[in-house]
Amino acid sequence: MTSTPSRPDRSSSALALFVAAAVAIAFADSSVVVLALPQLYVQFHTTIEGVAWVVTTYNAAVAVAALGLIMFVHRLSATAVLVAGLVVFMAASIACSLAGGLGFLIAARTVQGVGAALLLAGALPVLAVLRGSAARGARVWTLAGTFGLALGPALGGVLTQAFDWRAIFAAQAPIAALGLVAAARVRGEAFVEEGWRPSLARLLPANLCLGLVFGALVGALFLAVLLVITGWGHSPIAGAAIVSILPAATLLARPLAARLPRLTAVYGGASLLTAGLVGLALLPFASIWLAMYALALCGFGLGLAVPILSDLALDLGAGLTRSGTLTIGVRHLGLVLALALIAPLLASELPAASDRALLRATAVLLDSPVGLSKKVPVALDLRGAFAQARQGEIPDLSRPFDAHGARHDRQLAATRDSLIGTIESTITRAFRPAFFLSAALAALAALVAFLFRRRIVS
Amino acid sequence: MRARRLAPPQAILAALLVAALALVAIELGKGAAVEPGPKLADPCRPREAHVSGLDATIQRIVLDGLDGAACRLHTTREELVLSLGGADGRPRRWSDHTIEVALRAGLLRAVDEAVRRGDLPGFAVPFLRRLIETAPLDRLVKGGITLSDLLR
Repeated sequence: MTSTPSRPDRSSSALALFVAAAVAIAFADSSVVVLALPQLYVQFHTTIEGVAWVVTTYNAAVAVAALGLIMFVHRLSATAVLVAGLVVFMAASIACSLAGGLGFLIAARTVQGVGAALLLAGALPVLAVLRGSAARGARVWTLAGTFGLALGPALGGVLTQAFDWRAIFAAQAPIAALGLVAAARVRGEAFVEEGWRPSLARLLPANLCLGLVFGALVGALFLAVLLVITGWGHSPIAGAAIVSILPAATLLARPLAARLPRLTAVYGGASLLTAGLVGLALLPFASIWLAMYALALCGFGLGLAVPILSDLALDLGAGLTRSGTLTIGVRHLGLVLALALIAPLLASELPAASDRALLRATAVLLDSPVGLSKKVPVALDLRGAFAQARQGEIPDLSRPFDAHGARHDRQLAATRDSLIGTIESTITRAFRPAFFLSAALAALAALVAFLFRRRIVS
Repeated sequence: MRARRLAPPQAILAALLVAALALVAIELGKGAAVEPGPKLADPCRPREAHVSGLDATIQRIVLDGLDGAACRLHTTREELVLSLGGADGRPRRWSDHTIEVALRAGLLRAVDEAVRRGDLPGFAVPFLRRLIETAPLDRLVKGGITLSDLLR
């Protein structure tokens, strides 16, 4: 291990960039596939629960593999761990992109998660070597991880719309390959044997906060994306544009996080994340601007809290590799546990909200100045569109109106617009309990930080 | 005593927290705490509506008829309409026969109400009543394409 900080040369910086890109993509993978879920659903003729496993298995595999690695990762060559992780991650990414069935895709995602855990655990000490000190390496690792996580949904949306869901996974392989090139050119051994094993117990409060913050991020990274795509009917690329405010705000918060006292940054970040999620929960109707406002607050919160908590969760001395592995496991465990809590809550709310929305839409239609010969047929066609939604497809609510002449009938077109607004408002509010639960996790992170403030910054 | 000024980073954080409160205030101001409309009306209570012309009168009769049928079935007008023309995967609450009986009764009562309001000329009443009693309401129940066919 390099204990004396030294200035990295230009070639080390380039290698560090490649490794950091692999770290970013491994963190992005937690949420990168969210915008592609409707496409996966249609292609594999599966259930909503089935397609959700594509997200859950990856995060669960990272959590389990990382927590299992803690016991012996410090005895292994970090470079070897990184190389093994990159090879597994790259092979699994290619396998995901070629998947012909949902079962195979879920299996490949599980393997990809194991590769990601190895990659992330090995990358931290390797970055420390490449950047010349543990502190600098940890900074790059944390920045790449935070930005990658925030960028995930937007990146996935762009690739899905521009190409296909397979492009999400195909695009990851070259990045992993570049990481492999970098790992192969690392001079000197990175943290082969840390010698003694300092207790990680003092790092637990910071890790608990991180786990809660990552759980809360399910609201911003998953729920908000689902709302924009399936609730409001935007295309994946439009959804990506809307959620791109999140990584932008995360980057903007970085200089601020560096200048604030650490606990202030953690309290402020967790509070902003809580407020952003409450803002998403309180959306009164389908408003892109209000959603972006709330997501920007979440991004600022993420950018303030996560880098500081990551620093506090890492032991920059002899326990670097193990503490890094612990924090990887706890973060992804937070994501998985939050998904396990939030997904059933949303699943129980949406069918009832869908029924309420259809009844309200029918009320709008019956009270509208549209001719009687169109009211009942349009209402029944809308019922068909909602039946599609119950099967997981995104309904095209304009089609029943257009089929009955809304393009030429101004009254019918006005009724359509009013009715779609009513439906979107009702569906938007169905996400409210799930967003509030996410906000509660963020608030709990702030509370834990306050209760353990002395241990966190000690 | 001079007020203590916040350092720029703290001031930015404070501004962000104020912006967060502003978001919540904006959303509450735009009705976040209020259930979105429209509220489903009680079909057993008469609705306020002023109509002129035969088409509007016929439309009112049909909508009032749906209200009357919904009231008999202890449901809303909207749920009754969505029960027409097959269940489309939803559990059906009533048989076709039950819906037909309720609809005919509701429409007949709506004609009486229209006469009482003076919306309908007397000479049209026997024709409308006969039409409602004999028209193929099953077309409405199973396909529901044109309610106006019924009254044509």
